[in-house]
Amino acid sequence: MSSIPEGIKYTKDHEWARLEGDFVVTCGITDHAQEMLTDIVFVELPEKGDEVKQGQQIAVVESVKAVSDVYAPVGGRVVDVNMKLEDSPELLNSDPYGEGWIFKIEMSSKEELDELMDEKAYAEHLESGD
Amino acid sequence: MKTALYEEHLKLNGRMVDFAGWELPVMYSSIVEEHNATREKAGLFDVSHMGEILVQGEGAAAYISRLIPTRLSKLEPGKSMYSCLTNEQGGVIDDLFVYMVSDTEYYIVVNASTLERDLQWFKKHLAGGIILDDQSARTSKLDLQGPLSRKIAARAMGDSSLEELPRFHFCHRDYRGKRIKISQSGYTGEHGYEFYVGNDLAPLLWRDLMEAGAEYGIKAVGLGARDSLRLESCYSLYGHELNDGITPVEAGLGWIVSSQEDYIGRDVIDRQKREGAGRELVCFEVTGRGIPREGCRIDKESREIGISTSAGYSPTFKKGLGMALVETGSVSPGDGIEIIIRGNPVAARIAPRPFYKYNG
Repeated sequence: MSSIPEGIKYTKDHEWARLEGDFVVTCGITDHAQEMLTDIVFVELPEKGDEVKQGQQIAVVESVKAVSDVYAPVGGRVVDVNMKLEDSPELLNSDPYGEGWIFKIEMSSKEELDELMDEKAYAEHLESGD
Repeated sequence: MKTALYEEHLKLNGRMVDFAGWELPVMYSSIVEEHNATREKAGLFDVSHMGEILVQGEGAAAYISRLIPTRLSKLEPGKSMYSCLTNEQGGVIDDLFVYMVSDTEYYIVVNASTLERDLQWFKKHLAGGIILDDQSARTSKLDLQGPLSRKIAARAMGDSSLEELPRFHFCHRDYRGKRIKISQSGYTGEHGYEFYVGNDLAPLLWRDLMEAGAEYGIKAVGLGARDSLRLESCYSLYGHELNDGITPVEAGLGWIVSSQEDYIGRDVIDRQKREGAGRELVCFEVTGRGIPREGCRIDKESREIGISTSAGYSPTFKKGLGMALVETGSVSPGDGIEIIIRGNPVAARIAPRPFYKYNG
């Protein structure tokens, strides 16, 4: 079974979002997502200052075989990106919830974060086979 | 459809996908690990989906010579060669391997997705006294590839003479009381063997090869690494570098055009070989940031010159590379080009073919 830590929020597209301050969330892809992709070899990152809406495509993760879009779990402004991933995309495989974080968003509305799934709901979502 | 090795793939946690109607593993644990195991040690592939057609009869050589652009007389019993079926326009119906068993018997190995069409073509041009036997459904094909494949094949078969089998030669051996065909050839750029065995013995042969290879670091390898290995070696894949509308000359396979017989499509192909074709296949490596894929537009100095036919990440060279069909003469090795990835031009460079030289 893939790891689904408590205390962070999940999307149906297998992104995660962790509240770091009052309005800033750190985001990445879930353990399940990296397992499905395997061998991640390239990440296309957003730029600091980009404004995104919830659900908007914000990054691209590529494995040897597949190209996968990453969507913004919440809307807001990109305040940081993990530049380490440019040279070490494999961090997404080895530590998806830690060193493999992808970007940080300063939310425009906290409600959007509340709407996301908790670990229980996400586990059920995975069981449903989606 | 399932190959005779389906259960073996499940036991090894193969991630099964549909490929030309067959359920086959795209990978077991990791494409990169399976790729590297094949380059450094050995890999075992289930390619039982491929088609095998036996052509028999007094006129077998003349019959096959009518269908392929390669001089068949370069074969002798026990040898094989790469060629293709060509249509009247010089395009490629399928690429294939021809094994000469005897003067009256040739064994032809074709792609899974094109098997039915190939059979129709063979039947359409059938000559008197020729018997076609489609053995695909009852034949399994296991490819053992990699620098340590010699030792593993010899040990599994209890026959050290297999280590000396020259490239593009094949032999028949007794395996558990049945006659199987073993060919020194492959699709990875490594020394290796292709085993043709009846479905009933395929799981046993798979396990025997895995067991004999265990101490050499053998890995089961899925379709994902099969594709990345052949891409580094610049081997054509039907439906990508080759199709009905691409001639062997355009695909960079001028070396298989050698027949002096009156084969189908010869006028077009001969003229192209003499005078050149409008398009040519080139290799490129990405120098900017991005992974190229099939179907990306290729520009030179902002002018469109062609399209990528196969491309992806190379585990051996750790960068993106690919093949592209471009206007003849528009580029030379070393030239800078741009490949358009998701709408953005990414810097790339024309490279000599192949990226990975045969390591035999």
